[in-house]
Amino acid sequence: MLSSQELVWLLAAVAKGDRAAFERLYAATRAKLYGVVLRILRRADLADEVMQETYLKIWNSAGQFDPALSSPITWMVAIARNRAIDLIRKKTEVSLEEESNVLEVAADTPDPLAKREMTEELRRLLTCMGGLDEERRRLVLLAYYSGWSREQLAAKFEKPVNTIKTWLRRALLEIRECLGA
Amino acid sequence: MTDDTDIESPDLLAAEYVLGTLARNEREEAEALLASDPNFERLVRYWERRLGQLHAMVASVEPPPETWARVQARVDGAEPSSVMLLPHPDQAARVAAEGNVVDLTRRLGRWRQAAAGLAALAAALVAVIVTAAMNPEMLPAPLRPKPIEIVKTIEAPAPANRFVAVLQQNAQSPAFILTVDVATRTASVRRVSAEQQPGKSYELWLVSDRFPAPRSLGLVGANEFARPTLANYDPAVISGATYAVSLEPEGGSPTGAPTGPVLFAGKLVEAMPPGQ
Repeated sequence: MLSSQELVWLLAAVAKGDRAAFERLYAATRAKLYGVVLRILRRADLADEVMQETYLKIWNSAGQFDPALSSPITWMVAIARNRAIDLIRKKTEVSLEEESNVLEVAADTPDPLAKREMTEELRRLLTCMGGLDEERRRLVLLAYYSGWSREQLAAKFEKPVNTIKTWLRRALLEIRECLGA
Repeated sequence: MTDDTDIESPDLLAAEYVLGTLARNEREEAEALLASDPNFERLVRYWERRLGQLHAMVASVEPPPETWARVQARVDGAEPSSVMLLPHPDQAARVAAEGNVVDLTRRLGRWRQAAAGLAALAAALVAVIVTAAMNPEMLPAPLRPKPIEIVKTIEAPAPANRFVAVLQQNAQSPAFILTVDVATRTASVRRVSAEQQPGKSYELWLVSDRFPAPRSLGLVGANEFARPTLANYDPAVISGATYAVSLEPEGGSPTGAPTGPVLFAGKLVEAMPPGQ
């Protein structure tokens, strides 16, 4: 992937309607975004749909990206994840059968990290997550990587939904306290 | 219950929204807040920045080559005007303030034409809304509500079953979020920032030009969630109505019509439109 600074320049060009920059941005980020949404959606057709919506949104709102507030890839991944999770919530509500299939899928640990992607911010987050107890850490990671709702997590962990909600919120409060503002 | 279920705050709603663990209706509420409340937006950006670091551990996967062609087609097909960008909250508030006056004035006009059938209290409620929007000082002090603004976030292009309304006084203080499923005629009201007032209750009203008087949907705000039923109303009424919250004596209006000031109001917009 390109450096963060290069992505910032590409986004600035895209904000001005530069199609060539948009193509370079797509080439630099498509595999990361597809990896993120495919992991949540587990279906190539749905992942393709979300990729289209995500890049359309990026094309339309590149001007709203603020490098002071987020890194370009974090911003783009957030757009893609939100689209994917919105879609999976609609789907699972329509088809419970589909939901149970999703639940069958084992949640593996995320892939090992390429060294150069280990930013200082990630190092801090992982240090804080290391302070959570084992089960809650798994809960947060599963939620982030697989896009599971509290209900799905409750089924997976065989706990009441309210317990899951409490665990999640305690974990998030601990993370926030550890990270500071 | 213990304090376990009490850890409820906009910060944690934002955190769970970013983490992705909210159910569909709660996501819709969070997205409505995101579009209307700059403070909530700040919280979401905080969590996106922090938790978003986790993406680094997801393995990249090459999408099929056709995806790029489809992305380009989508970009080519997107007229600037058809893009559903959420407006900046300030703009939304401005637009809404104007829209509110026009809409309710027109509504009042229609109601006046049907004056014979009008219940006095319904007229009073509309008058309160319109007067409050245009000139609150004209009201006697006890009836003087804070300014009401309706934030319209998204125009609904397609038939939809799920709607959301932010009931608020101004763009900085959403008080309640109403989500409605028209197909099942169910609704959920989340208290966001409305403060409990001793000896008073908040009551939710459905205001429709199909009815001579506002219809009570029950009390809201005592708990974080209320679940009013809309079973008695047809979908056109539900999706077209204005929803208003008035401050009533404890236990609700004694007359069946609003007696206290209308503090918050809003109209439904489509939740989570496709392709947004």
